[in-house]
Amino acid sequence: MGDWLAGLPLWWGKVIAAAFFLGIAVWAWRRPRSYIYRDAPDEHRWRDLRVWASVLMAIQLLIYLAF
Amino acid sequence: MTIGGIDLFIVVAYLVAIPIFGVYFKKYVKTEEDYFLAGRMLPWWVISMSIIGTNIGAYDYMGAAGGAYRFGIAQANYEWIGALPAMVLSALLFVPYYWKAGVYTVPEFLGRRYNLAVRVIQALLWGLFLACVLGVFFWAAGLMLNEYLGIPVWVSLLVTAVIVGVYTITGGLAAVAMTDVVQLLVMFIGGVALTVLGLWTVGGWSGLVASITPTHPNHFKLFLPLDDPTIPWLGMILGLAFVLSPAWWCCHQAIIQRTLGARSEWDAKAGMMFAAFPKMLIPVLVVLPGLLALSLNPDLVGPDMDRAFPWLIRNLLPAGLAGLVFAAFMAALISSVDSTLNSAATVWTRDIYQRFLVRNASDRHYLRVGRILTLVFVLWAIAFAPVTQQFPGIYVAMQSLLSIFQGPTFAITLLGIGWSRATQWGGLFGLLAGVAISSTLYFAAGWSFLYVAWWSFVGALVVNVVVSLLTKPEPTSKLEGLVYGLVMKNGEIQDVLSRRADGGE
Repeated sequence: MGDWLAGLPLWWGKVIAAAFFLGIAVWAWRRPRSYIYRDAPDEHRWRDLRVWASVLMAIQLLIYLAF
Repeated sequence: MTIGGIDLFIVVAYLVAIPIFGVYFKKYVKTEEDYFLAGRMLPWWVISMSIIGTNIGAYDYMGAAGGAYRFGIAQANYEWIGALPAMVLSALLFVPYYWKAGVYTVPEFLGRRYNLAVRVIQALLWGLFLACVLGVFFWAAGLMLNEYLGIPVWVSLLVTAVIVGVYTITGGLAAVAMTDVVQLLVMFIGGVALTVLGLWTVGGWSGLVASITPTHPNHFKLFLPLDDPTIPWLGMILGLAFVLSPAWWCCHQAIIQRTLGARSEWDAKAGMMFAAFPKMLIPVLVVLPGLLALSLNPDLVGPDMDRAFPWLIRNLLPAGLAGLVFAAFMAALISSVDSTLNSAATVWTRDIYQRFLVRNASDRHYLRVGRILTLVFVLWAIAFAPVTQQFPGIYVAMQSLLSIFQGPTFAITLLGIGWSRATQWGGLFGLLAGVAISSTLYFAAGWSFLYVAWWSFVGALVVNVVVSLLTKPEPTSKLEGLVYGLVMKNGEIQDVLSRRADGGE
């Protein structure tokens, strides 16, 4: 990789990772509700996969900020 | 080290119970679809547990614990940033399109989206990779049974073949997925028992940190500096998180096949998404033991670091628990072997036999061929297993081959689903150009596979876009149900897909 990359500080990694997790969560919420629930037996809140995705990414965010 | 008494009883009971449980599902197999896709009846929770059972093998225990011993919790990147975002992406973008297309394999989907050449390249890659990996897995199982039960290696190979073969040949994906559920539970019970006992021994988390940090200051940091030769943080993000991980979770035949057997589109998506929750806990089973071994015995050096996990079993566990952890170890291995076996048979039956040798035969014919091929792969694995020991480079070579294809494969799959303008020639030349780039960077320039993956992905993406724009667009009728935008905007296409998914077309 280019020499200019060698100068990137370590905390950039945390920033990029945090943006990545947030980006995935936001992208998930931009999926239409009908698309998320298609074929589901009912539309209970717990079946909303966007919520699952948000919980996953939130936990990841906390872990990567902590370590 | 051989085990006896209560440990031996636990292991033997486990090894006998698994095939009996698996064979129960034979009665549900009447057609090819029943055999390869579990009759499209799998609920989301079975899919998710089977995915993780398939994903975690005995090599992960050994390799990840050894990696944690060397590099610390940075090893957990492979389970976290190197998996979870990609699983969300796979669940919400890729899996619904595979499922709705009604295909059995990922190469079949790519063949439908692009052309036959792309399908053949992908099918041969997966067919060869899965077949070779089977030999490696069988040899690992043989060695483990040999070391812990004290039986000769060739007997161990036969025992493994009987245990896995019996239910995989008869019950197909349903038996594989249901036994994976049990195996994952065994893996977690054994792994958690080991970790809890280890943490208690070293004085809890604070004791673990205090004992390691003075000599290894970076062992509790997830990102390592850019000058780290093995896992620099930028390589982890660009190569692993952005390319290799999505390529694995969105395009790996053995992983995706479980979702294709889902009873509904929602179950397919939820199965992949929910798998991310147990996946998040995997470092507790495979990374923490490496750190515990380092805390208790910091004197392992060189290749011995990869024996951190067996060292922990041997020196930490009391009678009873050793058998349980060994059973967990075997569960990890067997759940990977059965899935690989089933997926290898699926690819060779659907993409090679059914496409090129015997077309339009009866459903029962392909069911019989699938079972025969599964048996052939069991026999092949027994014969090939000792060869992998004589040529240890085979496994590394197969992994390298896969990593060379992963970036380009992910690039064309992403564009194939996400961009309707991508043409068959864009896909083919993108794939070939990406493979050329990765081969050059890997073999000629000697780059790290993390950076190779990134640049081959970018190269394949650019070539696909350029060639696609220079060639004639694909007709909409060919793209129906295969491209994100078309389905999202067109209710008529959604109806077609629903009928196709129900077996109507």
